[in-house]
Amino acid sequence: MRSLRACGSCGIAPSLRPCSFTASAACRQAVCSWQKTCIYTTQDKTKLKTPTNIMASVMEKLLTPVASDACELPTNKVTVVGVGQVGMACAVSILLRDLCEELALVDVIEDKLKGEMMDLQHGSLFLKTHKITADKDYSVTANSRIVVVTAGVRQQEGESRLNLVQRNVNIFKHIIPQLVKYSPHCVLVVVSNPVDVLTYVTWKLSGLPKHRVIGSGTNLDSARFRFLMAKKLGIHTSSFNGFILGEHGDSSVPVWSGTNVAGVNLQSLNPAIGTEKDGENWKEVHKMVVDSAYEVIKLKGYTNWAIGLSVADLTESLVRNLGRVHPVSTMVKGMYGIGNEVYLSLPCVLNSGGVASVVNMTPTDQEVAQLKKSADTLWSIQKDLKDL
Amino acid sequence: MASTKEKLIAHVSTETPVGSTNKVTVVGVGMVGMAAAISVLLKDLTDELALVDVIEDKLKGEVMDLQHGSLFLKTHKIVADKDYSVTANSKVVVVTAGARQQEGESRLNLVQRNVNIFKFIIPNIVKYSPNCIILVVSNPVDILTYVAWKLSGLPRNRVIGSGTNLDSARFRFLMGEKLGIHPSSCHGWVIGEHGDSSVPVWSGMNVAGVSLQGLNPDIGTDKDKEDWKNVHKMVVDSAYEVIKLKGYTSWAIGMSVADLCETILKNLHKCHPVSTLVKGMHGVKDEVFLSVPCVLGNSGLTDVVHMTLQPDEEKQLVKSAETLWSVQKELTL
Repeated sequence: MRSLRACGSCGIAPSLRPCSFTASAACRQAVCSWQKTCIYTTQDKTKLKTPTNIMASVMEKLLTPVASDACELPTNKVTVVGVGQVGMACAVSILLRDLCEELALVDVIEDKLKGEMMDLQHGSLFLKTHKITADKDYSVTANSRIVVVTAGVRQQEGESRLNLVQRNVNIFKHIIPQLVKYSPHCVLVVVSNPVDVLTYVTWKLSGLPKHRVIGSGTNLDSARFRFLMAKKLGIHTSSFNGFILGEHGDSSVPVWSGTNVAGVNLQSLNPAIGTEKDGENWKEVHKMVVDSAYEVIKLKGYTNWAIGLSVADLTESLVRNLGRVHPVSTMVKGMYGIGNEVYLSLPCVLNSGGVASVVNMTPTDQEVAQLKKSADTLWSIQKDLKDL
Repeated sequence: MASTKEKLIAHVSTETPVGSTNKVTVVGVGMVGMAAAISVLLKDLTDELALVDVIEDKLKGEVMDLQHGSLFLKTHKIVADKDYSVTANSKVVVVTAGARQQEGESRLNLVQRNVNIFKFIIPNIVKYSPNCIILVVSNPVDILTYVAWKLSGLPRNRVIGSGTNLDSARFRFLMGEKLGIHPSSCHGWVIGEHGDSSVPVWSGMNVAGVSLQGLNPDIGTDKDKEDWKNVHKMVVDSAYEVIKLKGYTSWAIGMSVADLCETILKNLHKCHPVSTLVKGMHGVKDEVFLSVPCVLGNSGLTDVVHMTLQPDEEKQLVKSAETLWSVQKELTL
């Protein structure tokens, strides 16, 4: 519960950060995130009201405080870094799913940041997240449970994800250490592309144990795969089970051997499924998944809703300690014969500590070969990255 | 040879599937339309969502992006088309389409431009969903709700303007900030014209039934040392301020639209400040739409709460009505 300690100068409202009117002694408390100065001093800044010459305010007459001044830390604060289309879609999805008691936004473009924060705050009546803050300064992110990183430059039309790399690495060198400084116990969820490389970069820059750095990875690819497969079968997306693993993007691996509805394995019904020999051409579905992002970008300029929803889904497992299995990007050195430190998507059990465990799949030799190939490609980029 | 699907699934029902009973259509896939769409989807309000717009690429991109999120949603059918047949049998149609004011453009000119757009949209909506409830969001909302009502031929209970639902939400947010209480526990109503001349009803402001005006009789006046009047000013300035900072507003209006849709679709009979025909109320003589507290349900706007207003509050409503009528009477519908 927020402290009801009132502003030292005007004797009225409690609020979210120090009033910038006096910045210290006189007015230490009361500024709502809306204004930079105390609401009660905006009219005439030269006149600083002292508690003695003010009648009991409406608030003082209305409420009798009973709690002590103890400042309580948030238990499930979420920070979103980057207020572009993806960041805001993540933020709105997280808010509308009631996943956090406090949401913080960070970005470098101050106007846009303030505007987005205000727009979300104006929806407070319809939400169950009482504290929505934003600042360029990372101190606003302090004590976060989960930090979603969407910052970075976005894929241009026709640009492959791997081309974004060094541009985004330089941005991360500024972001990641600050996040860890203010929230040393958080779980970092990296969304920015190329996600597998940037999750590796984040892990290196953060110094956090590997299970606390996750990449959104193929969570979205798998969601798209399940949508398209389910549509062909006329059932709800969630009733079709199937994973796409490995690298998020062009060389992702659809694990056909695991695809099933109600436990009925599709590959046993159609042994050629996913191969060139398959008369029904199910392989086309995976191709559509790979092409999805490019297609949506071509049509509307960017993608945001699906990735936002998928990130909220991951956040739910993390915040609510659910232990659900998600295909997310995790450190896979030592698995499937991969010798380098790379991040690739595998089915992971997510709980409040991050990745609790990885599900041991039984992929075919061809699928293992594809994973290894992705690992090699990623490592060839990673080894040349500067200053990690 | 039997296909994989045939081996997996056997169709057993002999009945034709029942269509949607709570379908929502959003007209216009700009920032406001999409914010409304995602809010409606995340609140699990409907089993079918349709999107319409004139820009086909953008429309297709948006619907694909939403469909890709199907795994995380409980709305199985998300469709879109330029053709209004995709909107057939909607329960609620949210209209966010329309032109934005150009620099230096007169309000009357903007309104006439939007009237021309509505002349295409509204009859198409009614053609395919003759029993729907139209929720107008496009600005200037009070005038355009009147226009939608006239063009639709629907009874007045089925054409509603989002009105001051958002202004009131902003007011309650700011009230909550000042008092350290959640907005849902802070009660305050902003009525009348959506925008600069909206009316905050100070006499109704309360927490747990305790009237704030009772605690501070100067509340809302210039004499008020706590300057609560500034709260209303901040509400009026909100939209301009957010637009200046990020270019447009979307999230708050989207959530407020979903809030109204929920009340309608779930037949909640909740009171919301929305724009409705107010001729004959509070001294208003013209056929205009202004926001007052209304009871909403699945047959639309069934009742209006009669507020006890101060004389100057009623005067403001009458003045707004006259301004709106002066614009409306020049329109060619």
